[in-house]
Amino acid sequence: MTLKQEGRSYRHIVTAVIIVAIFAIGAALASVDFLAMHRPDVIHPSAGLTGTGMLSDYFEEIKGTPGDTKLYFYDSGVPGATVLLLGGTHPNEPSGFIAPVVITENLQVSAGRVLILLQACASGFTCTDPFEGCPQSYTLQGKSGPRKFRFGSRVSNPLDQWPDPLVYLHYPSGQQLSGFETRNLNRSYPGRPDGTFTEKVGHAIMQLIEAEHVDVAFDLHEAAPEIPIINAIVYHEKSEDVALGAVLELEMEGLHYSPELSPVNFRGLSHREWGDRTGAMPFLMETSNPIQGRLRGRTNEDLIVKGVSERYKQALESGALRIEYLPEGEPLERRVGRHIAGFKTILSVYNDAHPENPIVIENLPSYDELMANGIGHYLQ
Amino acid sequence: MKTILTTLCALMLIVALAPALSAEEEKAAVAFEQPILISSAGQSADVKLVAMLAKKQKLDATVAEMAQPADLGNVKTLVIVPGFSSKGLGAAGVSQKEEMERVEALVQAANEAKIPIVMVHIGGNARRGGQSDGFNKIAAENSAHMIVVAQGDEDKFFSQIAGEKKIEIEVVDKIALAAAPLGKLFAK
Repeated sequence: MTLKQEGRSYRHIVTAVIIVAIFAIGAALASVDFLAMHRPDVIHPSAGLTGTGMLSDYFEEIKGTPGDTKLYFYDSGVPGATVLLLGGTHPNEPSGFIAPVVITENLQVSAGRVLILLQACASGFTCTDPFEGCPQSYTLQGKSGPRKFRFGSRVSNPLDQWPDPLVYLHYPSGQQLSGFETRNLNRSYPGRPDGTFTEKVGHAIMQLIEAEHVDVAFDLHEAAPEIPIINAIVYHEKSEDVALGAVLELEMEGLHYSPELSPVNFRGLSHREWGDRTGAMPFLMETSNPIQGRLRGRTNEDLIVKGVSERYKQALESGALRIEYLPEGEPLERRVGRHIAGFKTILSVYNDAHPENPIVIENLPSYDELMANGIGHYLQ
Repeated sequence: MKTILTTLCALMLIVALAPALSAEEEKAAVAFEQPILISSAGQSADVKLVAMLAKKQKLDATVAEMAQPADLGNVKTLVIVPGFSSKGLGAAGVSQKEEMERVEALVQAANEAKIPIVMVHIGGNARRGGQSDGFNKIAAENSAHMIVVAQGDEDKFFSQIAGEKKIEIEVVDKIALAAAPLGKLFAK
């Protein structure tokens, strides 16, 4: 080998080392970011908290898996109804998670008890949906400083359940859905003990509802402004009187909700399977969230928190699309405020209908208070 | 001569206006009687809310979300609550097309039997546009009276139909406020 050839070969090795080093640094930085999604969100429960447990207490097979998640108990010690509040069924629907966080950090119960599962689909909080360009987290200013919360995926992490089938066959109905839905907790009910990862989580939640004799159960969500079912309360037929009563009461407070009856032939959803298979009265609530929608434009933290989208504003002004979007945006305060108002009002109407089995909750902000003071005022 | 001309002109004016006057009188003379059948057009759960309002007003009303012409039997007034709901259609197990065909048949049967129709739209924005407006239109155009919650008429969709077809319309601010005008219709 000539000196010239040796020099060229040396340069190639150096170039290769530099390229590998650049990729290694990039991968290391990306993995730090990636692993940050596995760091749990910090929650500061109110003084009303009386105990905690895990979802795996109701189905041991999920113990220690990414499907296991914390359960918060607020037991007044006074006989009354048991309420279950599920947050984070879809971790990319922030008000469905932050409303239960606000409740967890402020709630006092003086009759009956409230059980809160903040991150029902815990696995979905460890990743985002591919190709959506969504941020991994967002920050809210709490009383003690900034609070960072994860913005996750609609479904379980593919690392926990993979591959997706071409067609998802719901158990036990045999209903066919797209393969992606196999990881959707809100298509998995009633689940099964020997099923997929997500079906096991669904099964654990059903076991929880049964074991704790839940009377009223909530599942909080958000949807795109162009979806017909937003600002809505979806109810099982056995929850009808309470749901309709709540819609009327909320409207008197200036909050319009569309009542939506759960279809009997759409299986796997909380409002259908909880109602059919347990003693609980289920309610699913939806708010309007532009980050969910296809017209949203730039997808960042601001869109999650302030809910302002120029694209949706244009769509609204053009009149070409009938959407639920306010010109000033759909800020998180409004969405969380609607969920909390719905939660309180449904329980109030439930109490009127079931005075023998009351649930009395206190210290939760009203919709107007949330709008006036912001969410941070109610976070530690 | 002058008196004869004046009399002739007056007679011509009366003859010209007579059909219009009688049409107005006819509209005003519509009597809303009980028993009432409350049905949906689009299968939204709003029909249940209207049934609650009717109950509060102590009206003799039955609810049949999927009412057929045969259900009109001894019914004296048909109340239609329009508004599309995909969940509602799913619950009823029908497609949007089948629902529209049912509503068309029901409206036609009511018209043939001279059963007046009252349209009550309480769903606001959520029950307007795209898939809802077909149901809203058929219910509104065939009604003898409309009660509408204001948010659903922000673009004057219902007011315009009411104006063109000379149908009485009452616009209220909130769902609960629709109860009183509904009750009043049957107190006449």
